[in-house]
Amino acid sequence: MPVCPAGHDSTTSDFCDTCGMRIEGAGQASAASGGAGPAAPGVSAPAAGGPESGSEAATPAAEPCPQCGTGRSGRFCENCGLDFAAEAPAATTGSATAAGPTPAAQPAPPAPAAAPMTSATPPSASAPVTTPAPSAAPGPSPQPGWTAVVAADRGYFDATMAASGPDAAGIEFPGYCPERRFRLSGPEMRIGRHSASRGIEPEIDLTGPPTDPGVSHLHAVLVLQPDGTWSVIDPGSANGTIVNDTEIATGVAVPLKHGDRICLGAWTVLTILAD
Amino acid sequence: MSSPTSPSDFTLEVFQNEYLPEGGREVNAIVTVTAPAAGQAGGPAAGADGAHRAEIIIVDCSGSMDYPHSKIVQARAATTAAIDVLRDGVAFAVIAGTDTAKPVFPADGSLVPASAATRQDARWAVSQLRAGGGTAMGTWLGLAGRMFAATPASLRHAILLTDGKNEHESPDQLGQALAACEGVFSCDCRGVGTDWVVAELRRISTALLGSVDIVADPAGLAADFETMMQAAMGKQVADVMLRVWTPQHAQVKFVRQVAPAVDDLTGRRAQSGPQAGDYPTGAWAGGESRDYHVCVQVTAAAVGQEMLAARVSLVAGTEVLGQGLVRAVWTDDEALSTRINPNVAHYTGQAELAQVIQDGLEARKRGDEEEATAKLGRAVKLAEESGNEDTARLLAKVVDVVDAAAGTVRLKRAVAEADEMALDTRSTKTVRRKN
Repeated sequence: MPVCPAGHDSTTSDFCDTCGMRIEGAGQASAASGGAGPAAPGVSAPAAGGPESGSEAATPAAEPCPQCGTGRSGRFCENCGLDFAAEAPAATTGSATAAGPTPAAQPAPPAPAAAPMTSATPPSASAPVTTPAPSAAPGPSPQPGWTAVVAADRGYFDATMAASGPDAAGIEFPGYCPERRFRLSGPEMRIGRHSASRGIEPEIDLTGPPTDPGVSHLHAVLVLQPDGTWSVIDPGSANGTIVNDTEIATGVAVPLKHGDRICLGAWTVLTILAD
Repeated sequence: MSSPTSPSDFTLEVFQNEYLPEGGREVNAIVTVTAPAAGQAGGPAAGADGAHRAEIIIVDCSGSMDYPHSKIVQARAATTAAIDVLRDGVAFAVIAGTDTAKPVFPADGSLVPASAATRQDARWAVSQLRAGGGTAMGTWLGLAGRMFAATPASLRHAILLTDGKNEHESPDQLGQALAACEGVFSCDCRGVGTDWVVAELRRISTALLGSVDIVADPAGLAADFETMMQAAMGKQVADVMLRVWTPQHAQVKFVRQVAPAVDDLTGRRAQSGPQAGDYPTGAWAGGESRDYHVCVQVTAAAVGQEMLAARVSLVAGTEVLGQGLVRAVWTDDEALSTRINPNVAHYTGQAELAQVIQDGLEARKRGDEEEATAKLGRAVKLAEESGNEDTARLLAKVVDVVDAAAGTVRLKRAVAEADEMALDTRSTKTVRRKN
């Protein structure tokens, strides 16, 4: 399904059927007026429920965004990315890692001990963190130099393509994909593609070009463990995450070590270097 | 009944200046919609497609139709002329309207297919029409609506002829009747003489997607009815909607038909999806072409960005007959963003022309000569500039034109009532831009 620059899934391929922005790669020619345009098979689609996901469509047209005043639709502000769901019930600390309208509140570090095992989906709304005094200071914690190296991997791509259904047709291995290195720091490093509309600014931003169409906006999270090592959690990405040839379960932290390969999307491979 | 034309043959052309300045939000476009030519795409031969058409002629038989007597005489002749034009197989009926509504032919309140025999019977029934009673148009339309609803025909059209005010029911009753008839059938209205009210008939014709006109001299009725009926017989596709999709947080400021006549459809929107609304356009004849002015207010985007401000499509039922795209591109080049599309400018002028004529006549009735002179002077100027000669001619019967280009006029002391009403009814007629 085509995705517009603002991150909406669109049933039309020329312009987004939610916000109207031109979808990259849509031919200029399709903008020319004419008869029944072939570019928009879904022109009658809005009559049948529309493209919005059920929960978003069900949201009543409420008052504008409290932060920037833009009209509201869906869970996140279209303009500033504020998470309304997090705003509404308990606008307290740790509520908005994603949008960060409350810079005073430091994002709560993953609770010590075994907490990250299941409950750690950091960007979700108002985490039930009740310990107000952060025991483990989130600042410069002792971190040996861990690095994630992002590259396009031909072998993984071929395997993905071979195993994929018709969805994958049309996805091509990028002709040029420079290696990118991310120094792991802070309590967590999110992996994904930034989305202003959804308020997602991942620390490891895989937005291209080349953009891997199989990478979710929030695909996986690297979480610092109390012992200084790192784990990876897939919070529920669309296409899953593979660590060393094994797909990991959603919401479960998988410890990482030097040399581990995290595969996601169609061709993206993160190699973890611990030194 | 399947649609007799290949639907995809409708074309939509969009005329606009898509460039907006930084922060600009209003997007204007003229959309020209053209139906496929008659007989194209395997349509049935003319005359063979009567079965999905239905026609009802509503004749005012109130007492005033006898003063002068020629009105009822000519009304009968006109109804007969219209019946003669009916194609074989078209279901038809005639209603006599007074303070009640009575089916004249057939007497049982049904519709019968036109044939030599039924036409003969109808002519006889019409010749028996006598004037006497009141005027309750809502009741007439209500009966027509119920009769149409009982037919399987998809192209349903009525002609309403009256000579007077809607005296025997309240405006509310008329409004309720219209609401019940909207979407059931279309109705062309004709006022004979000068004792009827333009606003009243315009209200009916607007709601029921038809035309309104004055036939000042009853002798002209027969020819007018024949023309109307022929136009009705030319309609090919029924119940066509103009669907306007707009992006999130955008607002449709207005959607109006601007050619062949101004008709504001903004209030007729029926939501057809989370971001789309349908505006009724009624039935279309082969080769028919109309222009629509769509104005959308969008959320401004950054310079260099492009947005779809509206996806305008023509739909009949679930079928999409054609579509056009209205775009917005933000630019910091003022040479681009300050241009006004000539079609948009032209039709903005034509819509204003209709408005200032109606305002001017209204002011004149009130006795506000200053206002009337200003408005009608503006109208003369707009008509001159746009080359709307018919309207210019009608204006010249109401005002003395001193300088058309400057819009300098003097109100005429004596104006024939028929001329004033003709100007009012036809004020909405527009001309296309001359290239």
